[in-house]
Amino acid sequence: MALLPRLRRFAMSLARHPADGDDLCQATIERALTKRHQWQPGTRLDSWMMKMMRNIWIDETRACSRRGETFVAEEAGMSVGGDGAQEAAVALSDIDRALRTLPDEQREAVLLVMVEGYAYKEAAEIVDCPVGTLNSRLVRGRDALLARLGETP
Amino acid sequence: MSVSPEELAAFADGELAEPRRSQVAAEVAQDEALAEEVRRHTELKAMLGAHFAPVLDQAVPDHLVQTLGGGEAKVADLATARQGREAKRGIPRWGWIAGPALAASLALAVFLPRGGSGHYAGDEVAAALDGQLVATQGVVEPVKVLVSFRDRDGDYCRAFSGVAQSGIACRDETGWKLEYEGEGHSWNGTEYQMAGSGNADLLAKAQEMAAGPALDAAGEEEAKAKGWR
Repeated sequence: MALLPRLRRFAMSLARHPADGDDLCQATIERALTKRHQWQPGTRLDSWMMKMMRNIWIDETRACSRRGETFVAEEAGMSVGGDGAQEAAVALSDIDRALRTLPDEQREAVLLVMVEGYAYKEAAEIVDCPVGTLNSRLVRGRDALLARLGETP
Repeated sequence: MSVSPEELAAFADGELAEPRRSQVAAEVAQDEALAEEVRRHTELKAMLGAHFAPVLDQAVPDHLVQTLGGGEAKVADLATARQGREAKRGIPRWGWIAGPALAASLALAVFLPRGGSGHYAGDEVAAALDGQLVATQGVVEPVKVLVSFRDRDGDYCRAFSGVAQSGIACRDETGWKLEYEGEGHSWNGTEYQMAGSGNADLLAKAQEMAAGPALDAAGEEEAKAKGWR
């Protein structure tokens, strides 16, 4: 499906780790397949799946904080991970680092509009908030990003 | 008149509606600070776009592609997926076809001439396409339906495989129009011998043609009730 690379991009930017991103992507595709009858033909499949992906991510993030950080140790051994000491070795780009510092709601607003190229209205539908809220989250996220990126020469 | 940061962002993203757009454009043209803001916004957008663009060019990992064909592999949550990443390769829904097809491609492949009258499915194939559902059809059918989906025009299409012929047909006002024809399969007494990698090709083709996921059992039933129209 032509959507796959885009879903992957959003998953990776959302999940912060490539491996988690692919898992998230996989979980989204699986959920989409089981729920495909709920998709309304004529509406945008990409928005529908991004929204689903975001929901899975939120559920998972909550579940993870309940479980503690148990999975981090497991992941740390993987070359694709980016935790703790490894983070320094992998040398995340300034952009990744700056994005991580944003609150989730600002980060997703920035990602949906500036990376995925959604119109404000579409992005607002994906994250289930009014367009005005999306707009202000975007601005706050953008300003924080610019400030962060400005700090590092 | 002052321009809020939100409005300015919307302006930079081409999201501002008239008449406000023209007003803001006029402000930006006069005010160097505002113009600088717009420039920074656009630059950041370009930077983020460039930063994540490589993901689009990376090859999508096999297990994700497989997932797309598989509804049976259920992942309860990401933690399970993580634990199982090494062991689990996903169970492709079409594995029962693709697997044997690959194996059979090593065996003697029997190519039969393409059948079908003109560009529409013949009676036998058409009857199967009209009546059979993937979920309920017999293990052995003269014509077996592999998968149903809707193409980009919204027409129902079904990939099928039979002794005389295999292919993909889409329903139009005349009948089942053959969009793609493959070879038939020989019958060895207990199971169909796939000719070459026929079904794998068919399914790949079906995925290309499909606008959205394959129909599930309920979707097929509904489509059948509507006469596949």
